[in-house]
Amino acid sequence: MNTLRLFRASAALELAQVNGNRAFVALTALAAVSFLVMVSLFGLTGAYAPVALIDHDGGPYAQRFVEALLGAHHSFALKPMDADQAEAALHSGRLVGSITIPASFSTDIERGVTVPIDLRIDNVNVDLTHDVQRALPAAIVAFGRAHKFPGIRVQMVEHDVMPQDTGYIPYLVVSALALDAMVIAGILGAMATAREWERGTVKLLRLSPASAGVVLAGKLVVAGALAAAALALTLVVIVLVYGVVPIAPWATVFTLAACVAIFTCVGAWLGALLKRTLAAVPLLFGLAMPFYVDSGALEPTRFDGETIWRIAHLSPIYYAVGVLEWAFHGLRVTPEPVYVDLLVLLALAFVAATLTLSRLSKGGTR
Amino acid sequence: MIRAIWGMARNDLAIWRRSPAALAAALFPALGMGVLVAVLTASVGQQPVALVVQSKGRFAERMARIIRADRDAYLLEDMTAAEAERAIGAQRVAAIIVVPEDFDQALASASAAVDVYLNNVDIDLADDIRRSVTRSVAEFDAPQLGLLGELHGPSTGVLLPNPYRVAVAEHDLRETNVSFLQYQVIPIIVLIIISIGLLGTALLTARDFERGTAKLMVLSPVGRLPLVVGRLLGGTLITFTLVAPLVAFGFLTQYIPYCAEESDGPLWVKLLLSGPCGWMLPVPPWSHGLALIALLAAVTLTTVGMGTLLGVALRDARLVTMSGLNASAYLFFLGGGFTTVAFLPDWIQVVSRFVPTRYAIDGLRQALFYPDLIGFGRDLTVLSGCALSSIVLASFALARAWRRA
Repeated sequence: MNTLRLFRASAALELAQVNGNRAFVALTALAAVSFLVMVSLFGLTGAYAPVALIDHDGGPYAQRFVEALLGAHHSFALKPMDADQAEAALHSGRLVGSITIPASFSTDIERGVTVPIDLRIDNVNVDLTHDVQRALPAAIVAFGRAHKFPGIRVQMVEHDVMPQDTGYIPYLVVSALALDAMVIAGILGAMATAREWERGTVKLLRLSPASAGVVLAGKLVVAGALAAAALALTLVVIVLVYGVVPIAPWATVFTLAACVAIFTCVGAWLGALLKRTLAAVPLLFGLAMPFYVDSGALEPTRFDGETIWRIAHLSPIYYAVGVLEWAFHGLRVTPEPVYVDLLVLLALAFVAATLTLSRLSKGGTR
Repeated sequence: MIRAIWGMARNDLAIWRRSPAALAAALFPALGMGVLVAVLTASVGQQPVALVVQSKGRFAERMARIIRADRDAYLLEDMTAAEAERAIGAQRVAAIIVVPEDFDQALASASAAVDVYLNNVDIDLADDIRRSVTRSVAEFDAPQLGLLGELHGPSTGVLLPNPYRVAVAEHDLRETNVSFLQYQVIPIIVLIIISIGLLGTALLTARDFERGTAKLMVLSPVGRLPLVVGRLLGGTLITFTLVAPLVAFGFLTQYIPYCAEESDGPLWVKLLLSGPCGWMLPVPPWSHGLALIALLAAVTLTTVGMGTLLGVALRDARLVTMSGLNASAYLFFLGGGFTTVAFLPDWIQVVSRFVPTRYAIDGLRQALFYPDLIGFGRDLTVLSGCALSSIVLASFALARAWRRA
């Protein structure tokens, strides 16, 4: 039988079946965009704590102090209001704290008197409380140094490794692309194979004289193409909505293509193993989250400790995030060079495709 | 009638017992989120930092002591300059703090510096380190700007003059010390309830339409009401059966020997137990316990009703699974899972007011972590309203759908 014709026929059949499951495919694509939204919401909690500013002074030093608060390493989103409004907002969970500048602030500062600033914190958890506790001294230091008050003897001098900081959300959405690749390609790959068992057509495959490998290749190419289209949609959202543009577009495309190939094959293997879409989908969702965080998605993985970093090497997402953060922002988030990450991805894509096709074709004839 | 209701509920329980895939669909994503929280805890708060002290001077040593003492901020390791350089290149540390050789001499002319070489890969990580080092540096000239000074300085009437001329009088609103992990475990519990209640009932309902068993139910002589009530009771029992042991386990976790922070057990044991140990819930007083049960019941009924509505609307197990997973994710994040609602833009805060999980998460945290039940009444009222309306709507929708099956 002509291999090319068989491949095309299999792909056409898969396309027709996918066409009949448009809602499922659309929901899968929606999940991809949802992940972006979710990581963005998480990213929003990393900085700019909403804090009420109650300024009873309004003098020049108070204004300088407010400027120092605003410049304190993206710590505060100050919301000027009076004491009653602040109290109400604090107790209704709309603020994490309030800062009160007393009435005599400017006069006392001018006279060289130390002024206590009242800080009220809704200490819902230790981490959030620590963030606010650390941020206020940073503002106080900036205020003191700006006015060159006598007696300040030590300062921090910062030398950055990167020429500029990368925003937390731009960092997170790029790593979310790798997560998307895993979920979408994995689910579509799983659906392509599991459907054969769900509909009982696996028996026809087994009885057919055609090569099961070629038939599966046709199915997986369609699943991969659909996953690539959904990822392209996500990429467009990242570029147009988030304004995050890759500095190395070809590396981005190459990495995403490798991710699609890897995860389509892994998904197909899971689908063949579990024989039900209903079982494969939650498994992929469940695995995606731990893989995601243990892949340098939030910060370079090695900062989380050697054990977590070593485990991360088992996940293709680790290498994908390594290449994608470099391709978008020029960042190095893995100790390994970027070309090594890229080569590992390529190798994994090749191995996953070969093993899956071989295993599935054997499984189909048994 | 009661026999019919119980029969229907038992049947649903039996179907669930024989459906490992459905169980997995409900539990895997939520447990995945749980692992995510455990790993997140390692990522937030403390960063690995190298400290290089190049001076043997008295003041340099004092500066180093202040930095070393801030254990909440850094995972600090003393290194030589060469070791530190290799470590930052290999990403074993996120920053190098250098107390230079001429620190004591420069201090005499008020120009001493603490150098920070920072891997500013993203602002979250970089700002954490900047804030922490700045506070350590400030503490050198103004000891009250340290954590102890913030907590026990001006707020208790003790104000020491400092060269920055500003001090902090901190007042905490709550008498509590909830860790990030404990705080985030609560939304996971709610996510598990949503997943099981919503997905479980939706899958059972969709299954009836896929397999045509809905028609058999319509023909049953017991009438539709007992069957509808039985379905809702079944969904509720399934949710309780799966959630209750998990919550009970959370209360018992503190008795696992190696879960204590100061535990000196082998590293591999600690790693193995980090998952279960992370699932640690404080045992509340009995009044809070009752409030907790009422809240869990209201959330369960809400999700069971919503699941029934989803199943009636879609009538396809695969669509139900994907929609349920998407819906659970939105309910989780918009309700305050992994996020603090106050940080979100105003319009999202407005949206989150219409998300029942927000009230569930807030209420559970209030009942478990804080000494009073302020705001709990509102949370329970909203959730009870949601439960009532979703159950009533679900009953009508299910009865109507079966009639037309």
